[in-house]
Amino acid sequence: MKDPVPDTLQLGEADKEEQYVHSVYNEIASHFSDTRFKPWPVIERYLKGLPSGSIGADVGCGNGKYLGVRTGDVFMMGTDRSESLVDICQQRKFECMVSDGLDLPYRDSAFDFAISIAVIHHFSSPERRLQAAKELLRIIRPGGTVLVFAWALEQNGRRKFDPNMQDVLVPWVVPKSRKQGKGDEEEEREDKVYHRYYHLFREGELPALFEGLDRCTILEQGYDKDNWYVIARKDRL
Amino acid sequence: MRLITHNMLKCHVRNCTDPDKQFPLRFENAELEQIEAERNDEFLVRMIPRLDWPALVKTATALGIALPASIPETPSEDDDFLQKLHTTILETHVKEGSMFCDGCGHEYKITNGIPNMLLAEHEI
Repeated sequence: MKDPVPDTLQLGEADKEEQYVHSVYNEIASHFSDTRFKPWPVIERYLKGLPSGSIGADVGCGNGKYLGVRTGDVFMMGTDRSESLVDICQQRKFECMVSDGLDLPYRDSAFDFAISIAVIHHFSSPERRLQAAKELLRIIRPGGTVLVFAWALEQNGRRKFDPNMQDVLVPWVVPKSRKQGKGDEEEEREDKVYHRYYHLFREGELPALFEGLDRCTILEQGYDKDNWYVIARKDRL
Repeated sequence: MRLITHNMLKCHVRNCTDPDKQFPLRFENAELEQIEAERNDEFLVRMIPRLDWPALVKTATALGIALPASIPETPSEDDDFLQKLHTTILETHVKEGSMFCDGCGHEYKITNGIPNMLLAEHEI
């Protein structure tokens, strides 16, 4: 993989996300979707452990990878900021909406659970990441849980990040052999490189985000597939 | 979008906070489609507590779908109720149309079964 570069963009938070998250995902949606198919073990375990009849939200559902894990048994609906990715969910017959994770269209305490997998690292400030965490907790019922995964600064696999660089632009390469973009152009003779903004999480940073919230208890935390994760519960009053 | 999804939605425009008006969102020009789905009674019965029943009845009525005003004592033993519930929340899809907030008037559009719940800058 091409190396990430430091984020030195002089852009406002919303603009940075618009240009380096939303637009990019809309452009790369179909290629991205093709690479997102194998559910991760911790997530599968979490979803398979839910009681039958549970209803949950997948915030930042991408191509709907997790929406069908327990079809007929556990009901899930997804939201994503990318219209292109939501279109892919729709084609796969999942419930999905276009929505921003900072401002979810759900009533308070509506769901038994929520998941947000590899999403919160795309919010470009601590305040926005906190807001995303608050929204996840708001939409689950007291006693309900949320599972969150975020890219780790500390990686064991092929990727290696500079330990001093938490805010980065990570390249995504669409090979020249793929039809690119949303138009009908055929003459793409080069690999196309896009950059996505990430805030890479240090060890402890993700649990700390949830620990800072009212009525929130961390049930489990760990490291899996190059991500830090937490399972947090909304406490009953 | 299935009606079960609609039951989870509320208007999230800034300062639109009256719970009596924020949901259910009111359908206009809704194009419905019935798509059969396998019925799972255990699933239905367990899901009932998560539904806002008055909101569901209000929405169904407006769409011309009959639902009892209150949930029976023992839903698991009421086949007729479970069938109506199943059909309403899981088999009834809104393909096109709009959802309006009775509180602030905001319109959320549904295209090809996908609601767009994004807000404008000034509404957040």
